[in-house]
Amino acid sequence: MGKAFRRMFSMVAALAIFVSAFAVNLSALEAYDPYSYDRWWDPIPSQVGYYADYFADGVTLGCGAFNEPSGMHVSRDGLIYIADKNNDRIVVTDIEVKTVVREMRAFNYNGEVVTLNKPSDVFVDQYTGFIYICDSDNERVVKCDTEGNVERFFTKPDSELYSDELSYIPSKVIVDKAGIVYVIVPSVTRGAVMFSPAGDFVGFYGANRVETTGEILANAFWSLISSEEQRGRSVRSTPLGFTGFDIDDNGFIYTVTDSQDTSIDLLKKLNPRGDNIIDSLGVDEAWIFGDVPPLYYSIHARRSRLVDVNIGPNGEINILDFQNGRIFQYDSECWLMFVMGGIGEQLGTFRSPAALASYENKLFVLDSRKNNITVFTRTAFGELVTEATVLYIGGFFEESLEPWQQVLKYDGNYRRAYGGIGAAHFGNLNYGEAMKYFKLARYQGYYSRALAGYRDEWMRSNFNAILTAVSILIVCSLTLKLLFKFKILKKPQIRKLFSYRGKSNA
Amino acid sequence: MLELTQWQFLKHIIFRPFEGYEDLRWKKSGSMAISWGIVVLLFLERFFYERFYGFQYYASYDKIFNIIPLFFQSFILFLMWVIANWAMCTLFDGEGTVKRIFVNSAYALVPFIVSSFIGIFLSHFLIMEEYVFIQIIGVVGFAWSLLLMISGIKTVHQFGIWKTLSLMLLTLIAMVAMLFLIILLLTLFQQMLIFVLSIYTELSYRIRV
Repeated sequence: MGKAFRRMFSMVAALAIFVSAFAVNLSALEAYDPYSYDRWWDPIPSQVGYYADYFADGVTLGCGAFNEPSGMHVSRDGLIYIADKNNDRIVVTDIEVKTVVREMRAFNYNGEVVTLNKPSDVFVDQYTGFIYICDSDNERVVKCDTEGNVERFFTKPDSELYSDELSYIPSKVIVDKAGIVYVIVPSVTRGAVMFSPAGDFVGFYGANRVETTGEILANAFWSLISSEEQRGRSVRSTPLGFTGFDIDDNGFIYTVTDSQDTSIDLLKKLNPRGDNIIDSLGVDEAWIFGDVPPLYYSIHARRSRLVDVNIGPNGEINILDFQNGRIFQYDSECWLMFVMGGIGEQLGTFRSPAALASYENKLFVLDSRKNNITVFTRTAFGELVTEATVLYIGGFFEESLEPWQQVLKYDGNYRRAYGGIGAAHFGNLNYGEAMKYFKLARYQGYYSRALAGYRDEWMRSNFNAILTAVSILIVCSLTLKLLFKFKILKKPQIRKLFSYRGKSNA
Repeated sequence: MLELTQWQFLKHIIFRPFEGYEDLRWKKSGSMAISWGIVVLLFLERFFYERFYGFQYYASYDKIFNIIPLFFQSFILFLMWVIANWAMCTLFDGEGTVKRIFVNSAYALVPFIVSSFIGIFLSHFLIMEEYVFIQIIGVVGFAWSLLLMISGIKTVHQFGIWKTLSLMLLTLIAMVAMLFLIILLLTLFQQMLIFVLSIYTELSYRIRV
């Protein structure tokens, strides 16, 4: 019996090993710890929304290694444009980053051959198909078609507004629907430089503000009472220039500013007038993008430095943190969805992340020191959250209930899901449940609204009871008063406890 | 002619801030038991304020419950007020004793505590837009308590109003100085303890070798 049993046992064990070899490892082990923030903005372990799928570089593409690439753009027809800075070329690959579609080195400008010198960024106008290249060291932005025929250069503005001493080394470029070209020039602190489609300088766009810190206020005070000469020596308070921007389909421009000293205007959403309308997304001045600095041990924590922003297909705001090598994905209402990446040598981590792009369910991160592109693909959890978020933001609260509940099965700490479920209950006039979930999500404003509904409902359903109780009380007190008045009842001693004995004696 | 129990005195003082304290002084009345009760209530008020406030106004940090700050905000702060006031009153020739200052100050806290409790209660039924009601109640309670406190300190030392106000200001400064000294003392003792401990460790190693 023992032998037979042992044989059977070993067969079962072998079968188990055989089967497990085929099991798909759904949650890939990442090189970093995925996290999120709980309702007190403490970091908390979470599920990965995107996993680092693979990487690609110039060698795997077969076009020669990249050399400090610094800009990347994914066009609407699914081509990736890479500005390979130190190789003076633009490499165009397919969306898989497997094959090179085109390599742009030489351009034809009215029969003349022109080349690039340290191109730092590239942008493809989704409406006209023109390619815009920041030809940094040639101090111009090149507008050309896909064949490399240059249509126009956008060179240093010849205007009173643009001082002669100010250099013009374009670093990033975008184009809006009307064909207006926005160029980030690092030396310009008054916002992006704006050109009309005809190539004329129009002005500056969307400058950052100077944060009112104690130092700035003190400087302002001293400048009031100091002489001209002293003033010249003091520190000028100028705003910081943008480091990256992107435009969404509605024509709103998102900018990021790389700074560890200031806390305002780090991520902005600009309307065509150049006003910051980020507060329309339910975000206030104190909203923190990137890593939330901890209350304690903050010496060891390094504040995020946002270097690039990218708007995803569903309006997700992806921002790239140079300091910690992380990508933060927010939904279009600025709620944190996922955090991924880190600093390191493994797949999914970076040394010097430079640019960020997205296409459907993929994220692309360009590393200018590893000289490669890391491709992130959305996980099942990520798909679920995205589905729920899209439904939620579209106002389909009831439809989003089911996916949010699924999300909670994956990650019970996923704060946004509680808010989503709360909103679904709120939409169904189910105020009690809504309050419970809004509390879990710490949505105080929504909780207040649910409470108002709950209160009204309670009052309405208990109105008769309340009215009866109040009238009974009134009748009782009146009767008692009358009984005391006509000395049918004597005031009990207990009432005397709080009345003045002295007064009654007098 | 004014024959009041201790509880009646409390009520008398709260509703007649100026006359009440004089009567209390005249009758040499005032209960330490009730005063301690009020301070305990102050502690409870701090606790409820921290933990049981309406969620739409304040989300408390539920992960950690630390009683020390609450204890400090009620007992320690109040005792420091009493002692600092007593210490300072000698400079002004005030005639208050620690017990009388304690009783008068504790009685003065009642409107503040009550208004705060009402606010905590209401915070569960009012929505964000109606916060102003809680604010009004809070301001009224605080002003009432402040008035009582001024009157109480004024009576206990038999001062004029300006002398009272300057004494109260000085008391606050003295409280800060006391805090500073306490922290200094604690740090020094800590240093000394570490010093002694390191000598002990050193010696014990030497002896073992």
